[in-house]
Amino acid sequence: MNTFLQIISNHSEAFLRGIGVTIQLALIIWGSGLAIGTLLGILSTKYKVIIGIPTRLITFILSGIPVLVYLYWAHYPMQTILGVVINPFITAAIVLSTINIFSVSDQIRTQLIDFPEQYTIAAKVCGLSQRTTIFRIQMPILLRQVIPPLLTQQVIMLHSTLFASLISVEEIFRVAMRVNSIEYKPIHIYTALYLLLFVCPLMAWLSGCDNALLEIYRNLKCLQGIISENLLAPQRC
Amino acid sequence: MLAGNNIRKSFGTSEVLKGVNVQIKPGRISVLIGPSGSGKTTLIRALALLDMPGHGEVVFNGRSYQFPLDANQKIDPPWPDVTVVFQQHFLWPHLTLRKNILLPLSKRTDSHHIVNDLIDIFHMGAFIDRYPNEVSIGQRQRVALARAFALKPKYILLDEITSALDVEQTGTVIRHLLTLRDRGIGMLVVTHLLAFARELLARDEGDQIYFIDDGKILGSGGMEFFNDPGSHRAKQFLSSMDYWSANGQVIHKNSKR
Repeated sequence: MNTFLQIISNHSEAFLRGIGVTIQLALIIWGSGLAIGTLLGILSTKYKVIIGIPTRLITFILSGIPVLVYLYWAHYPMQTILGVVINPFITAAIVLSTINIFSVSDQIRTQLIDFPEQYTIAAKVCGLSQRTTIFRIQMPILLRQVIPPLLTQQVIMLHSTLFASLISVEEIFRVAMRVNSIEYKPIHIYTALYLLLFVCPLMAWLSGCDNALLEIYRNLKCLQGIISENLLAPQRC
Repeated sequence: MLAGNNIRKSFGTSEVLKGVNVQIKPGRISVLIGPSGSGKTTLIRALALLDMPGHGEVVFNGRSYQFPLDANQKIDPPWPDVTVVFQQHFLWPHLTLRKNILLPLSKRTDSHHIVNDLIDIFHMGAFIDRYPNEVSIGQRQRVALARAFALKPKYILLDEITSALDVEQTGTVIRHLLTLRDRGIGMLVVTHLLAFARELLARDEGDQIYFIDDGKILGSGGMEFFNDPGSHRAKQFLSSMDYWSANGQVIHKNSKR
């Protein structure tokens, strides 16, 4: 236990910098993914051929190959081929942001296409204004549907940043090696501490949010099922 | 009056409504019967201007909507003076039943008073603060009716609202519809249940029934329609149905009540 605390104490600065890099990277990826991805998702629903089809194609290709492959390819071979040297942090941020943007756009597009038209029709015949329909009917229903898969996606991206922060910031990597060499402990001590102190609490919090929203999402889906199947007997979800 | 004159509607190459004429008078019930796929729901959506007719005219209290529309022509639909209660209820799932009724009334100062009255009329006190997925289909149906009623519309179009209800619940709905009629609301009730149609029409001589098949009105009239439906197809349709009385008793095929 003393060794454990001593390692934290001796290398607290390095750990904090590692957390800082991960947070920085995660914020860039989440921010760009949610903002640009949402916009792209809306545009691909509106312009199905010009934007929708290319977006779906790119999403399919991106989702079919592991993130690790893209990171290595962008960090080493691609830069060698192009004859450029890009800051590893920027490389990681661009690659992961691109993946996140297209994943988010796909989620948004799917939810928009699947949005049950009957709720909008009900709003129309009740005389609700377009503004009320958007803010009181469409947005809350859409958010309930889209938040659980989006949260899951962002957690996956967070996993990727943990790896990316190690390979993209050489300084952190060197610190990790120094920890290893000074303490004569395997590198997994560093990783374990990292996970324990930062990722686990964050994951627990996200998981709580995810479960709560997933329950609402399931209830909604259940209701949609009953409506669409037009069951003839009283049913409860 | 709400009327559809020579309403035509096509989906692709398939013409679903072929020049339909219907009239719904204030404080009267018009019943629309017909087999599945005959165009009943399409007619309701056309009359409510949810799906624009391809051709014809919809008249609402003297205001005429001519179809086809000119390019870029926008119309001002008569919602919620004309409203619709759908077979699937279409309650908003993220709101409690009370809020489902309250939301369209948000600009009214007496909205809570209206809702409380409706809770009494439709006996919804036990479940009004639950969400739509927490109550039975019959209870949802009552809320959908109450929501439409709360809007104080001039006309309500009701699409197969009893399809998911048992005989007792259907009887309750009939009472509610008659209450609405007595308050001056005109209604078009789409149903495939002849007994339901008879129960609605039996109370007032001014009410009317229409028989639609293959996108055309093949017969219409009052209670006498059941004995003399006019067209051969309407006779065939009536003779193929079981007659159910409101208390659940089955009157056997082809028998007269």
